[in-house]
Amino acid sequence: MRALDGVSLSIAPGEAFGIIGPNGAGKTTLLGCLLGFLRPEAGRITIDGRAPDDFAIRATTGYLPERLVLDRWMSGRDFLAYHHALARLPRESRAADIDGALARVGLEPEAGARGIRKYSRGMLQRLGLAQALLGRPRYVFLDEPASGVDPAGVVLFRRLLAGLKGEGVTVVLNSHQLDQVERVCDRVAFVRGGQVQAVETVAAGAGLARVVRVRAADGAIGARGGEALSALAAGAGAELRDLATGEARFAVADDAGAARLVEALVRAGIPVAEVAPEESRLERLFLEGRT
Amino acid sequence: MNPTLIATFWRQRLASPVRLVILLFMVSTPLLMVTAMPQMGVSALGEAIPIGMLFAVGMIGQDAASGVLQLVFARPVRRWEYVTSRWLAVALAGSAVVVVQAGGAWGVLALRGHSPDAHAMLAFVAARMLQMFGVAAVMALLSSLVAGVADLAVYILLNVVAGLGSLAAQAKGWAALARAADLLRTALAPAVEFDHVAAGGPAAWLTIVAYLSTIALCLALAAEVMNRRQLSYATAG
Repeated sequence: MRALDGVSLSIAPGEAFGIIGPNGAGKTTLLGCLLGFLRPEAGRITIDGRAPDDFAIRATTGYLPERLVLDRWMSGRDFLAYHHALARLPRESRAADIDGALARVGLEPEAGARGIRKYSRGMLQRLGLAQALLGRPRYVFLDEPASGVDPAGVVLFRRLLAGLKGEGVTVVLNSHQLDQVERVCDRVAFVRGGQVQAVETVAAGAGLARVVRVRAADGAIGARGGEALSALAAGAGAELRDLATGEARFAVADDAGAARLVEALVRAGIPVAEVAPEESRLERLFLEGRT
Repeated sequence: MNPTLIATFWRQRLASPVRLVILLFMVSTPLLMVTAMPQMGVSALGEAIPIGMLFAVGMIGQDAASGVLQLVFARPVRRWEYVTSRWLAVALAGSAVVVVQAGGAWGVLALRGHSPDAHAMLAFVAARMLQMFGVAAVMALLSSLVAGVADLAVYILLNVVAGLGSLAAQAKGWAALARAADLLRTALAPAVEFDHVAAGGPAAWLTIVAYLSTIALCLALAAEVMNRRQLSYATAG
């Protein structure tokens, strides 16, 4: 059985690239190949013209594995200092780099001094991400980075990833959290059965990533007319996609955006009877790909 | 060699209270023997290999089994560098312990009026230190081949095989089997004895070359095993 077959991808510098697909699709194997941990039987992988295990690439790569295993006898700071040294980063900047990395992932300095064995799952994941970001890498490979992280952490990670994109860092993100992938990534590869079945550009719709269906009692929503509804939606930061007699579809940024939209509709006297989320583009791609 | 890998390995090994207790036991019990039987001299300290084993067991296999290796090799660390750093860390830790133990024994013997000859003492310590470097290399190879702490089981098994082979060879008078068993036993515990040199005799160059060859071969094979190893952690992805 081939774990990967006929995969051909090109990721641009500074791009945030997502890898999605069902369990057993070969996503983690693909990431393993990109990192040089696994050697493909055929074909070639290059990063900036070099092999993935080339030291010049290794020195500028950050990596967070899906199943993060840490030496539990260390403290968080010990762990970061260890990786700072392994990454051959300057010793004189070690303390400042560690402080910066801890702050970046929202870990208090006291947490850094604590033994890793006392860390919660979410804290471990944050520490792992801090490790991946040591030394301002040019390439960051993240395998389920928000796994086990609380909602505040998910938001923080999303902001962090957006920040990395802003810094021109190339991010490869393997995640089952499709909304996160959709918000962060420029393009997404859908992997299934060891093959890349589609590569979608998602950046264009990242601002208003979710679509909600709104139904009003007695067809009141259709009676308002498209122009008035568009203006109402725009005032709430949403966008009217289409309008039928009994219901309308709006694009919103997130859950808060959906709440603002509903509030605006109710204030305008529309008797909202039902609001239902529609699948995002990636969710549709994912579900269609599975069938 | 990578000082970070060496220092971190030492800290890891010393972070285990169980290992520290065993180490204390391994160091102090032979010293009690020396105290009780000073006429036996430093030979009452017995075998040094268990001390090396205490540091060596799982030196690579534990990292491989736990999944720590992925993070290490995502950094600019060569795999041979990892292997040799582990070897050196074990050998130096074992050497430090045997030196401390020998120093303690020397002090005890001096107090009991059985002060050993300085040359003989030096030869004894040097041989035990070299034994640490030898057994560390053998364990590096075994640990690169098997996961977790199974290297200890393999080491014991190979020693048992060597012992049984030796017994069978004696019983049947098979010289070839006796030689093979002897070779296996020597390969499992590479050592150089200096008693002869301390007594003014010539150096046993063949033994020294065999010792160095065994260490070089073990480390080269361990590095090759690690180079060929593909680090997969895919479970559900």
